[in-house]
Amino acid sequence: MTPETTVLTLAALLWAVQFIAYLAVGHGKIDLNKAIGPRDTEVDRPGASGRMHRALSNMTEGLTLFAIAALVITVTGQSTSFTATAAWIFLIARVLYVPAYALGWTPWRTIIWMAGFLATVAMLLAALF
Amino acid sequence: MSSELSILALYGLVVIVVVLLNVLTAMSQVGLMTLGGARDDMPPLTGVAGRVERALANSVVAMALFAPAVLVLSAKDAFTGGTLFAAQIFLLARIAFVPIYAFAIPVPFLRTTVWLAGFLATAYLYLQAL
Repeated sequence: MTPETTVLTLAALLWAVQFIAYLAVGHGKIDLNKAIGPRDTEVDRPGASGRMHRALSNMTEGLTLFAIAALVITVTGQSTSFTATAAWIFLIARVLYVPAYALGWTPWRTIIWMAGFLATVAMLLAALF
Repeated sequence: MSSELSILALYGLVVIVVVLLNVLTAMSQVGLMTLGGARDDMPPLTGVAGRVERALANSVVAMALFAPAVLVLSAKDAFTGGTLFAAQIFLLARIAFVPIYAFAIPVPFLRTTVWLAGFLATAYLYLQAL
């Protein structure tokens, strides 16, 4: 394993933690019968449950991009201390992003998101050039 | 590094650009404060911002499908001239898809045809991987 694939595995586990956190926050607030139904109409996710759901959707997107960066770097043997550091910055940013969204830290959520985003960009660029 | 893997990393950068376009078009519609806030009561995006948002969602799905195909081919050392061509078609189709969607270019089925090209290129990669 390279540091990048270690971080990728941890980040995938973070996705699972975020999913469980979303369920925990939504418990008692989201209509369970509607949630397990066919969802023909939008499920209402009030307050923090909506924020946890949006944070999870954003993680799905961020994780897919990060997976490409981490796996291309690993498969092509291009792991360096720079790409490893960027990977850890991504993970730290994605962990902080969850409370930042849930608790409405403005503008910190955006700044934290940007740190993870730029770390991914740096890794993709490092893979290519 | 094989060309297909380069194309995969390049497509990652394409999606990065679409994410930025999504942020910029959404910001011009709802404002920096709403977008940077908790978004609890954010109105749905409309017009070009809505189309870029949908183009991004579609780009992420395409990325999640394209990446495993390329990585499996790489792990199996199964790259051929055909897989390179399919990956190139995918990249071009997916790049074209974004402005065609964002500007709602009024050519019947243009967006759908371009989407289909990327989709079929991905399907071809999976058939080659098996």
